[in-house]
Amino acid sequence: MKEVDASSRRKFLITGLMAGMAAGCNTNQNPFANTDETVIPSGEKVKLLSVDGEIIEVDKAFLKPVPDLPTISNKEERKGIEGKKFVMVIDLSRCKNLKKCQSACNHMHHVHPGQNWIKVYGMQDAEQTAPYWQPTTCMHCDEPPCVKVCPVDATFKRQDGIVLIDSDRCIGCRFCMAACPYSTRVFNWGDPELPEEIAEQKYSCETSTPQKKGTVGKCDFCPDMVRKGQLPHCVSACPNGVFLFGDMNEDSVTNGSETFRFSDLIKDKAGYRLMEDLGTRPRVYYLPPVNRNFPFESGLENENDEDKKNILK
Amino acid sequence: MNIHRFLFLLLALMITVVIRVEAQKDSVEQKEIVRLHYFNSNNSLQYLLLESILKTGKKSEPQKHKVFKIFLDSDKVENHITKVLTDEYGKAKAVIPVSLKPIWDGASSHTFIVVAEATSKEEETSSEFTITKSKIAIDTSSAEDAKSITVRVMKLNNGEWVPAKDVEMKIAVLRLGGLLQVGDEESYTTDSTGTATAEFKKAGLPGDQQGNLILSARVEDNDELGNLSIEKSVPWGIATKPDNNFFAQRTLWSTRFKTPIWLLLMAYSIGIGVWGTLIYLVGQIIKIKKLGDHFMDGSSQPPM
Amino acid sequence: MINSTAPTSEEITRDLLPQKFGTRGKIWTVSLMLISLVGVFAYYRQLKYGLEVTHMRDYVSWGIYISNFVFFVAISLVGSLITAIFRLANVKWSTPLTRIAEIIAVSAIVFASIIIIVDMGRPERFMNLFIHGRIQSPIMWDVIVIGTYFFISCLLLYFPLLPDLKILIRFKDQTGKALNRLYRFQGSFWKGTKAQSRISRKSIHILCIIIIPVAFCIHTVTSWLFATTYRPGWDSTNFGAYFISGAFLVGAGGVVVAMYVFRKVYKLENYITIKHFDKMGKIVVLLALLYLYFNVNEYLVPAFKMKKPEAEHLTELFLGEYAPVFWFAILVGMIIPILILVFKKGRRPLPMFIAGSMVVVGAWFKRYLIVTPTLLHPFLPMQEVPQSFHRYFPSWEEWAIAMGSLAGALLVITFFARIYPIIPIQETITEQNGKDEHS
Repeated sequence: MKEVDASSRRKFLITGLMAGMAAGCNTNQNPFANTDETVIPSGEKVKLLSVDGEIIEVDKAFLKPVPDLPTISNKEERKGIEGKKFVMVIDLSRCKNLKKCQSACNHMHHVHPGQNWIKVYGMQDAEQTAPYWQPTTCMHCDEPPCVKVCPVDATFKRQDGIVLIDSDRCIGCRFCMAACPYSTRVFNWGDPELPEEIAEQKYSCETSTPQKKGTVGKCDFCPDMVRKGQLPHCVSACPNGVFLFGDMNEDSVTNGSETFRFSDLIKDKAGYRLMEDLGTRPRVYYLPPVNRNFPFESGLENENDEDKKNILK
Repeated sequence: MNIHRFLFLLLALMITVVIRVEAQKDSVEQKEIVRLHYFNSNNSLQYLLLESILKTGKKSEPQKHKVFKIFLDSDKVENHITKVLTDEYGKAKAVIPVSLKPIWDGASSHTFIVVAEATSKEEETSSEFTITKSKIAIDTSSAEDAKSITVRVMKLNNGEWVPAKDVEMKIAVLRLGGLLQVGDEESYTTDSTGTATAEFKKAGLPGDQQGNLILSARVEDNDELGNLSIEKSVPWGIATKPDNNFFAQRTLWSTRFKTPIWLLLMAYSIGIGVWGTLIYLVGQIIKIKKLGDHFMDGSSQPPM
Repeated sequence: MINSTAPTSEEITRDLLPQKFGTRGKIWTVSLMLISLVGVFAYYRQLKYGLEVTHMRDYVSWGIYISNFVFFVAISLVGSLITAIFRLANVKWSTPLTRIAEIIAVSAIVFASIIIIVDMGRPERFMNLFIHGRIQSPIMWDVIVIGTYFFISCLLLYFPLLPDLKILIRFKDQTGKALNRLYRFQGSFWKGTKAQSRISRKSIHILCIIIIPVAFCIHTVTSWLFATTYRPGWDSTNFGAYFISGAFLVGAGGVVVAMYVFRKVYKLENYITIKHFDKMGKIVVLLALLYLYFNVNEYLVPAFKMKKPEAEHLTELFLGEYAPVFWFAILVGMIIPILILVFKKGRRPLPMFIAGSMVVVGAWFKRYLIVTPTLLHPFLPMQEVPQSFHRYFPSWEEWAIAMGSLAGALLVITFFARIYPIIPIQETITEQNGKDEHS
């Protein structure tokens, strides 16, 4: 049996489920069997039949379609995943304001009805310029103005670049909301509307659930999903592949079906960031709305009447 | 008279519309779709992934918490693989138990039978999925200026390994959440010898700390072979060291344990200066109090 | 200049001793208490249902609580102006006003702290500021500096009170047993010996010096709560000076109002004289001009350029939805008081009282304008939120709490004036004697 050392237990699942399968095998026939970093052992072993009819043992954790992860301490949640630098690219040429990203995000994080962590703005920069749809998440800035002003370290920047909120510590002063130029933060003004089983869960900064009354919430880049080797909810929910997520240290971003080299993509399509002049250094890049897949008007049907009025003004 | 006729016509029209709508409602059928994917990972580990979808009209939703039985080749008790329960995404995973070794070894291709048991609402349904045993191998060659990857797929035909022709596959580098294609083509197809060759064109791609990249060849949902995957680690990347200097900085956005020194100095010097004075003044009050307590006779007011 | 009927020490003492509430005083106190109680009830509702009871939402995430906070911090600055700056500058006429200014400062700073806790979504986690406090945050600076200023103000109230306590203790019959016990506890050790007086004088001197930078800090830091963000209307290097000049103005206005009221109610015409009004009037004009100057800087310079994010905000202020309040604050808060007070006739008590009230009311609305319209002009357009998020008008709970806090501050001042002499007795006697000697 391949020994799995304890320190690797919580190491990040780089390759996801498929590659992970190889790791628990007791056959050493393949010298390139994946490294043990992808193992999330439960300790229990299960015997099963291999392709060539041999009997092998795997960890019980592999029997689940989505692996369970050991719970992570608040301290580790604050540190972040080592060796990662998460980055997102939003391709404006593909967006038609379907808002699937938004509904998936709201559903998974139990965002209060009416509030959104992901907003899809109908933008028009000047009178004669072309309108376009611009989804925004938290920018996870490298010089985060919100983190600068937090008096109690309730919002913090992690080594993997993600800016998170600890709702168990937040005092609800809302200075971060005033400081954020991207208007990305929302506040739980009243009791959050949560299903009972969610409300009873232990709070985790990485899942941002359960939301708590009197504290701030925002897009968290779904580090819990990334730990499982899966993509953030908005990325996998978008049918048009608008959102591309990845690791800058791997120089790649993916929407699940297509994977690009991050540096090439940004270079070839002239990627940019929002409000560069403020010096916030966002981790979310945008690809300009050129050679669009959909006309702007096709997105109007998903817009509520009030916003439509403002957009068409 | 005319108006009556008009009203009558209108009524008739409305009834027709209503009937149509009703009929359409009936015709929006609910359809259960069960898919079984066979996975073979690195020619060793194999498992089945069951996906259950409920399709209502155009909309499809995962069927959560539904029980399925899976059999190998025949739906007899001795061929029973396992019983699974779908999760919230409508998915369930199964492995072939050791007890079925004789049946598994006995044939070149196998049929998996998925049975959804009868419930009070639904009848028993079963669906079949057939796969042929196969294996996949990956080999790399690297010359000065050209690196290439060769993948070979073989399948078992009447107990003999023969090359698998026209198998489409992806040859890629494993990245977070996705597969980064190694060359210009999105996919490659095996020739009559069962091989496909891809050129590696991602020079300068960051690898792990030793510069290793994990190459992966994937056959996805092949009708005959199912899903095959194989990985190989190659030293073709650029060694990257995780840079934590960024996080270790003392900045205005750092935690309270990493406050910039200049700020600490300023804050503490001002704080100590001011509060030192204030404490001194409190001391003065105490001093006044002591003076007053010693001055026993307070009846006469001393000159100011 | 001294008339022959200059009051004796005994008369001064008798005039200035705290007086029991009359009928008007009782009505005043009870109504303040009622207003405060409504505020407390509103806060109970807010604790129960969360900040949802307010009309603050994701865009306007700070509302009248914060403008009220800024108002309190501003008005509290007057303590340092009247007491410290005048004392250091050897301005003698301000003696009767020092205690009024100081108690306004203390009660305002207390209610500034209370209102900021009211604004918190999680007031029960207040201690996190000390457990997890992060010195990079301007909020921490504010917490430290407000605490310090409160402490200094209390000391500055206490030291000059010591000789008066000695007098108060003598008048046990008039003040009653309970109060006498309080006076004894606070100052029975003061015998007025030379050594004691020397220490006290020196301490007051030190306090007067140290309170000035701290006072500047509290309002500068408060302005930085806004100026350290990117928002149009807040992103200004002018903000610290702008806030301080505004604070001095509203504080001076507040003192004028209090002077008038105390003079009327306690019949202090001999102590707070026309001369005092005249001098305070000149100071208010000076401060109003100063604040007007900073306002011109604050609005004219960006309005000249009309940068895109600023343009919407400024247009809204000058001509849009907020124009009535904006011009009200400018006219009533600055220009009209200046016009009244530049004339000698305008510096008589009643017109002064009106002008002072205008300054204070104008200042309150000014703080509202600083907070809310900016939040309604974010960089990205306001979309994908319910309609109610697009505008802000305070809910009844917010009004009740804001008014309750103002009433509370007045209540503190009222009780203080009931318990302690609002005009320093000993200092007045000393000055009177000094004058007599000179004449």
